[in-house]
Order: sequence, then C-alpha cells, then structure tokens
Amino acid sequence: MKQLTLYVDKQSFVHAVDPITKLFYVAFAILTSMLVPTAYAGVICALLSLSLLCLAKVIKNASPVFLFIGFVLFTVVVIQGLFGVNNQTEAFRLSGLIFYREGLITGAKIILRVVNIVSAFLILTLTTKASDLVEDLVRAGLSPRIGYVITSVFQIIPQMISSADIIMDAQRSRGMETEGGLMVRMKAFIPLIGPVVLDSFMSTKERAMALEARAFSAPNKKTFLRERPAYTYAAKLRGAFVVLTLAALIWRLAA
Amino acid sequence: MKKILVEHLKYRYPQAAELALNDISFEAEEGEKIGVIGRNGAGKSTLCQALTGLVPHFYKGAYGGRVIVDGTEVLSSSISEIVLKVGIVFQNPFTQVTGAKETVYDEVAFGLENLGLPRGEISSRVDAALELLRIYRFKDQAPFSLSGGQTQRMAIAGIIAMRPRIIVLDEPTSQLDPQGSEEVYQALDDLSDQGLTIVLTEHKIEKIAQYCDKILVLQDGRSVAFDTPARLFSAEDSDAWGIRPPVYTSVCRKLLRPPTGVYPVTLSEAGEALANWEAST
Repeated sequence: MKQLTLYVDKQSFVHAVDPITKLFYVAFAILTSMLVPTAYAGVICALLSLSLLCLAKVIKNASPVFLFIGFVLFTVVVIQGLFGVNNQTEAFRLSGLIFYREGLITGAKIILRVVNIVSAFLILTLTTKASDLVEDLVRAGLSPRIGYVITSVFQIIPQMISSADIIMDAQRSRGMETEGGLMVRMKAFIPLIGPVVLDSFMSTKERAMALEARAFSAPNKKTFLRERPAYTYAAKLRGAFVVLTLAALIWRLAA
Repeated sequence: MKKILVEHLKYRYPQAAELALNDISFEAEEGEKIGVIGRNGAGKSTLCQALTGLVPHFYKGAYGGRVIVDGTEVLSSSISEIVLKVGIVFQNPFTQVTGAKETVYDEVAFGLENLGLPRGEISSRVDAALELLRIYRFKDQAPFSLSGGQTQRMAIAGIIAMRPRIIVLDEPTSQLDPQGSEEVYQALDDLSDQGLTIVLTEHKIEKIAQYCDKILVLQDGRSVAFDTPARLFSAEDSDAWGIRPPVYTSVCRKLLRPPTGVYPVTLSEAGEALANWEAST
C-alpha cells in the first residue's frame, strides 16, 4: 500500500542533517527573508534553498511543485501589475493593457517570499521521513499522542482510500453508476460516504483499543528502539540559524 | 494455579437497556486453552474485553462481579497494568496495525517502547516474537504490505512481545482465508507450547473442539455451559444453546450403538472410535 510521503530516498549531506536542524533552517529562511528590509536577503535565502535542493539531488522532485506555484504566482504578478493598490508609474504596455512598476515590484516580492517558504519546506519534506521528524520531536518533548496522530495519518489515510475503493466496487457491482456527469457522481457519493464513514468509525474504535492493548497510555517514559545518531554539526548549525534570525530581527527593528 | 477467575460478572454498555454479560462465572488454570462460543451478540467479544480491562475502563458502563487475571483484579487496575498480564488480539488484523511504524519489526516493538523497556531488551523480545510467529523474514517490510494471515500473526507478535501470561483472541481468524487461519492456529499451538493460558472465541466449531481444553457457551449474555469439548458437544440439550456440534460428533452419535454418552469431537478421535466399534460388531 502506498504511503502519503514526499520523502525521496537519496544519499546526500542534506539527508544526513537531523530533522530538527532542518526545522531551524526552515524558520531561519522564512523569517530572514521577511524581516530583512532589502530584497537581497530574500534572494540569497531562495538561492541557498534551491542550491540545497540541487545538492540533495531532489530538485527534479521539487519541480512539479514549483511549476504549480509558478502558474499561481504568474497570475498574482499580472493582477498586481495591472490593478495593484499603489500603482502609479507605468512600466510597459502589452496588447493595450498597462502594467505598473509598483504592482510589479509587489508581485516580485510576493514571488520571493512564496519561493522561500516553499523551497525551505521542500528541503524538509523531500529529505526527511515524516516518522523520523515526529520521532525526533517526541524525543525533544512533543507529546507521544500528538506524535502518533501526525505519523499515523501518513499510513492510515491511504488505507482509508483503499477501503473506500473496495466499498465503491461493491456499490458498483450492485448497479450504482459512478461514471458520468456531475449529477451522476453526486448521486453516487451518497451511498458511498455512509459506509466509508461508518467503516472509519469502527476502525478508529478498534485501533484505539488495539493501542490500549499495546500500553499506549502507560504513564512511564517511552523508550525508542532505534538509536538516532546525533548529527555532528547540529548544535553549531542551529546556533548559527538562531543568531542570523536574531540579526535579521535587529536589522528590521533598527531600520 | 488459577490464571483467570471470573465471578458473577455482570456488565451493561452505556445507554444500553440490557446486560451484555449476565452473571458469568468460570476459571482457567495456567496453560489451559478456553474456547468461548455462542451466537452473534451472545457476549463473546464483551467477555474478551472484560478479561483485558477494556470493559469497564475503555467502555465505561455498569459493572458488577469480579475478574481476576494472574492475581490482578481488573476493576482496580489500569489498562496499562493489565496489559502486562493479559494480551488481546482482535478480529480485524488491519485495524490492529498502529499505522505509526514503517516496518514489521518496529510495529512489533511499539508496545515495548510504550512500556519504556531498554533498547537491548526490546530487540531480543521482538526477535523472539517474530521467530515464534514465523514472520521474521518479513521484518523489514511495511506493516500494511502483509497478507491477512501474516498481519494477524504480526498483531499476535506485538502482544506476545509484551510477555503476558494470558492471551485473549477474539475471533482471530474470522476475516482470514483458510491458509491465513491455519497460519494463526499454528502460531497458537506454538504459544500453547510456551505455557500461555489462551482464551479464544471462534465460530469454527470443529476448530475450537479440536483446539480447546474447555469450552464456555454463552447465550444472550449468560453462561449456559462450561465443560470439556467431548462432554459439552455430547450433551443432549446442546442444540438448545444454538450450537451445532462438530460433524464428527454428530456422525458418531448417529452411528455408535449402543449410545456411549460421550462422543469424539475430532477427526482422529472419530476415526478411532468408529474403527473400535466396527471391530467389536
């Protein structure tokens, strides 16, 4: 059964960095690009994130995401260039439409921020197993219950989709039309959703009991089967990200 | 030594009008295999949950009588204390997969991590459980990639690794094909050899008659019989409980003359009894 994961299994120094240090990087890249008053910081952070994606050998896996947001961002630039609130100075005309300098600059800033956010998160999601991230967070003090909810979603949702497919096949075999126009599909949705929801409730109850039978609510401190070797430069990198983010904050306050 | 002692157990689910369990009493010695049979809704699953503390701690509801497992009273203990004494395996193998682990090995280790055991102890227990359930070769596979029988054996391994002295199985083969069922029963034989006390609910009468030392019959939440399979299925009034005797018992009851009163319940016993009868006539 497929899992819900974007993780790409490759050998790279980015993959070797521990998940929490990557979280520090995500916070640094996003906050710095927003806090520093010049656009250079955003450009540098975006280039750094894109370089890391290349070095992690996952840029190909990131490209569909960039293509999708590229389309959305293109529409944002067009709308800002044409109708931005502060538009005053004409930049150029295209097929009779007037694009304004202020709107285009605002659009470029939005692009920079979105690329920064998306590329930073892609470094985390494409090079880190969700289970490793959650396990490290639980080791760092996150509640095991919250950790379980996050991790289990990645495996249980595909299983629910598989159950829904079985129920849909069962309904089809009894003559239910599932292909066709919007109305046909909407009609098919009603007899499908009831069994799927009921099945999910039953499964959730049984899974909760199975978890109790495996001492999930035991009050003692959990241990972990897997030893996670500490990343050598974790402390130095985390410290550097914190210092740089604080520097960006001071720069912003002083500006 | 008594591993299970159930005395006048009564239980009603929250908002339910009628008792799900009504004055149930029975006991089991160490290493005994107890079968629980009855029609759907007779109270088999509720009894399993009462033995593991899920009733009343998980379900709440009205509770009376007492259940003592391996010297621990269920009512006054938490589920996390009881699971050290009694493990439970449910009908659906797939809902017992936690969904939080990426390999069979890690899945089996889940309960031991929750108990806070040291890493070395976890590894040795998981290795032993996987070997016992004959699923060691799947240890690096994803839990959801296994077949029904393999998943059920993984669920049993996860419970066995916690080293309970009693294991309760609530229709563990009801959703499995014949091969998957056979795999589970082979695993139960291995567990039985380890001296575990086993409580098993099952609709496959031939299987339970062959496998169990004693059988408890439930009807509408009441216990109507508790005896060895041979005496229980040979009883004249067994039809009134809604229980069909094993086919071997029915055949011997019809053929053996004069009536012997106690009839075979397994194929090998029936073969032997019929051969002896043929030789004597």
